[in-house]
Parts: sequence; structure tokens; C-alpha cells
Amino acid sequence: MSTKSEFIYVTYIRTTPAKLWQALIDPEFTRQYFFGSWHDCEWKQGAPWKLVQPDGSVPDSGEVLEIEPERRLILKWRNEKMPEAHAEGYSRMTYEIEQDDDSVKLTVTHSIDVPDSKLIKAVSRGWPMILSNLKSLLETGHSLDGASPCSRE
Amino acid sequence: MDKPKFVYSLYISTTPEKLWEALTSSAFTQQYWGGHKIESEWTVGAPVKFIKPDGAVDVKGEVLQIEPPQLLSYTFVCRPRGGAGAEESSRVTFEIAVAFGITKLTVTHDGFEPGSLAIEEVSQGWLAILSSLKTLLETGTALAFNWKP
Repeated sequence: MSTKSEFIYVTYIRTTPAKLWQALIDPEFTRQYFFGSWHDCEWKQGAPWKLVQPDGSVPDSGEVLEIEPERRLILKWRNEKMPEAHAEGYSRMTYEIEQDDDSVKLTVTHSIDVPDSKLIKAVSRGWPMILSNLKSLLETGHSLDGASPCSRE
Repeated sequence: MDKPKFVYSLYISTTPEKLWEALTSSAFTQQYWGGHKIESEWTVGAPVKFIKPDGAVDVKGEVLQIEPPQLLSYTFVCRPRGGAGAEESSRVTFEIAVAFGITKLTVTHDGFEPGSLAIEEVSQGWLAILSSLKTLLETGTALAFNWKP
């Protein structure tokens, strides 16, 4: 029985590491593909981090563990809205960026030292939507036009 | 312990019908599947072949389930590069749905043999192929991966 829960997602995007990095951290850009939410953060190691929803509420918060622009970002990440997920404590979310032929490979790893984690179950549904949206936005200038599934379980 | 499998979902700005065509026609697969043509009569039990640009059959299989434009499953027989030329059999399933108003594709590759060498290659392959498929359907051109021969 595994003692941790982990979700890994890889997507290749026709862009540059610099543009992808900007897309990952810039509030105005993030809003367009992250269910309308944005990151409130100074983007330096040890800085507090919050995800902010359009209504101003904070579904997740934590701090920057590692930051290497255009290469890697690691956040300490705790859910603040779902009591069961909140009780699991801090997870770890990593963005890794690598140039690959004419595209850029983005790997998102979200893990926590809790078996059958509620948080990881919830983000496993959210990340494919967010990252599909991000890829569309960078490649076509438009995000996907679906209804916003903001209410995560 | 759970049997190893590859599961991946992505959302694509297209219709289920167009996505179905992209999964089952050579005109599309040649653009996003490493230059491979796909050939099948697309009925249960029919052979499926992925043909390399040089004409060699790279992957073969047999249709297990087919419900256009929602469900397609076929066996997947390949020779992993890391192996001694031996064939390995597994299974891939494509599920197409509309979620939140967007076409969602879920790919599940499972049924690997114990000690499979294929799972790693197949998983890495799908990540590139499915990213390229999305790009092709949304922009009209696939990602230019430098596919190993």
C-alpha cells in the first residue's frame, strides 16, 4: 500500500520556456486558463503564495519552496476550502519546464504524503482542464470556451 | 498492488466526430503519430495496423470495442526498443465525451504483460502524440517532434 498520493501530468506546448514561465506566474495570464483564478505571490523563495478566485476567496495557499525562472517552480500547497483536504496538510506542487524539439515540455507533479488523498483526487480532475486550457491559450491565443467548473469537490 | 496502466485526459477544441476521424484516419495520424498511417476496417475483430513511413508495420492489433464517436478499444502489439525483438501485447482504449462544453478525450493503456518493457515507451509516446493531436486539431498543424525512427 502506497503511503503517498501523486498526480503527474505532462503536456507539450508550442511556445518558448520564457512565454510559458510568464503564463504560469502572471496573474492576468493565469486568470484566462485557471478557472478565473490567479496567483498572489512575490515569486521568490520563501514567499507566501495564495490562489485567489474571482470572488476573492482563497481555495489554496502555501509558500514558494523553490523557484528557478523558466525551469522550475515548487510550491508548498494546502487546500483551504474542503475540510477533509485541508486536514491532510501541505502537498507539494512542481512545475518543470524543458525545451523539447520545437515545443516545450511542461511536467506538473502534485503529491502529498497521505494515502488516497482527497486533495490529490480533486486536483487530478482539475489539472487536465487547466493545462489543456493553458496549451490552447499559448498556441491559439484562445482558451477553451467551456463552462468554468470552479466548484471542486 | 494495482496493475500498471497509463491514463491521460485532455480537452480539445473540436467535435467528437472530428476527434474520432483524427483517431481512425491516416490523413490525420500521419501528421501527429510520428508519420504513421493507421489502417483498419474499424469493425470488432478487424485488424489494426500502424504503418511507418518506410512501409513497415510498427504496431498491430485487433479492434475490441467500437462505438463511434465515443469509444474505441484495440489490442496493441509492439516490439519495445529495449527488448530483444520480442513482441508485447497490451490494450488501448479511447473514450470521447463532452464535459463542461468541451470535447474530452481519455486514453487508457493497460493490459501490460508482467515485467513489461512497453509501458514506459508507450506512456512517453502517448504524451507526445496526444499533445500533438490537440495542437493539430486546434491550429491545423501538428507539433514537429523529432521522432526516432
